[in-house]
Amino acid sequence: MKTSKHKLCDESFFNSFYLENIQSITNFAFYKCRDKAASLDYVQDAFAKIWENCSKIDFTKAKTYLFTTVNNMFLNVVRHQKVVMAYAKHQPYIDRDNQDPEYLLQEEEFKQRLQNAISGLSDVEREVFLLNRIDGKKYREIAEMLDISQKTVEKRMTGALKFLRKKMDNLKI
Amino acid sequence: MNKENNILKWFNGEISVNDIKKMHSDTDFETLERIGFYSKQIDVPKIDAQKALEEFKVKKLPKKEVKVKALNFKTWQKVAAVLLVMITSSYFLFFNNNKSFQTQIAQTKTFNLPDNSEVILNAQSKLTYNKKDWKKNRSLTLDGEAFFKVSKGEKFTVNTDLGMVQVLGTQFNVKERAYYFEVQCYEGKVSVTYNAETVVLTQGKSFRVINGTIEAVDFNSENPSWLFKESSFDRVPLRQVMDELERQYDIVIETENVDLTQVFSGSFTHDDKNIALQSVTIPLKLSYRIEGKKVLLYSYEAN
Repeated sequence: MKTSKHKLCDESFFNSFYLENIQSITNFAFYKCRDKAASLDYVQDAFAKIWENCSKIDFTKAKTYLFTTVNNMFLNVVRHQKVVMAYAKHQPYIDRDNQDPEYLLQEEEFKQRLQNAISGLSDVEREVFLLNRIDGKKYREIAEMLDISQKTVEKRMTGALKFLRKKMDNLKI
Repeated sequence: MNKENNILKWFNGEISVNDIKKMHSDTDFETLERIGFYSKQIDVPKIDAQKALEEFKVKKLPKKEVKVKALNFKTWQKVAAVLLVMITSSYFLFFNNNKSFQTQIAQTKTFNLPDNSEVILNAQSKLTYNKKDWKKNRSLTLDGEAFFKVSKGEKFTVNTDLGMVQVLGTQFNVKERAYYFEVQCYEGKVSVTYNAETVVLTQGKSFRVINGTIEAVDFNSENPSWLFKESSFDRVPLRQVMDELERQYDIVIETENVDLTQVFSGSFTHDDKNIALQSVTIPLKLSYRIEGKKVLLYSYEAN
């Protein structure tokens, strides 16, 4: 117990913990603030906090602590910077073989509207939705990371899907 | 409800798109499918993990380490030492009811015991008794010489290194010096225990042990002479007389060709050193020379 508790203070252990989680936590911060450059800064601060308090944190809870720390940062800092998310370039469309220009245009428009719709999601719904979609996290994992129940995650996910579907269906016509 | 759960399962990767289409053939999942697909394409900042870690390390953050303090033996020692001091001091403050009186060279002291018995302590003597137990047990320890006027009551005991004296209520003198133990009874009866042997003294009798030899000597004074600043001796070896002189005058006596075992009968005053020395030396045909605190006794016949 004693050894596991202070494992986090061990530099090599901390490094591997850092490398393991840096991408997903930065993504998470990005979903929160939607600012690429700022999200890494927040994450670095969060890691700094963990390093400082390494002896107090149970390493099995370190990941949760990391996400909670970033989450709390946004409670205090800048609530919304309306920097809109963008799609990565050169991504395939859902029907890879369809090169019909009308189809391509239609899909581009869909993507654009989806992007706006996602921006319209509530913070909690968006972060759950994106953690699931982009990071491919299971609901259980998300619940663990955010220190909330799996039911809450599923509820938020359902809410997000309903909202997005409604938005997209409305615009369909 | 079921459909919603299945959609959640689908997004969680538990059910494939085709399965959910079969389950709910009446529903159009096209929009959801597209939402699910394209939302994955949102660009997230690609982090070069190693580079980020290096940047992070550059900051050189302080680490708040919880110091594990081993139970330091030295700390325990300190605690133990403090406790010991406290316990012993409190013992002396609250539990030690021993009261003691002490006299220096050429000094006498008169005081009363809790039962109004009177004690007169001769020079260089020490008397100790327990204040708390006094009512139950009139017992005290004497080192030196003292005169007691004991008020009537329960058994009164004087303990010395050499012997024990017990009385009920009387006047007596106890002298306990090096190789010398003497009890003189001035009134009533005194019981003296020496080497498991008990002797009862009546008025005017004394019990004396000099160098292990027990003697019974009669006397007729009503009070010990030292109460009147005089030391009296009745066939006492010169050695003890010299000791008494040293006690009364703060001097060191040395001898030259003098037989210390020869007995001396007589007395010396406590008021004048020269007269006292003369009263001891002249009957024994000795001479003396004073050199500061030192007094040399020598036999002028031998020179």
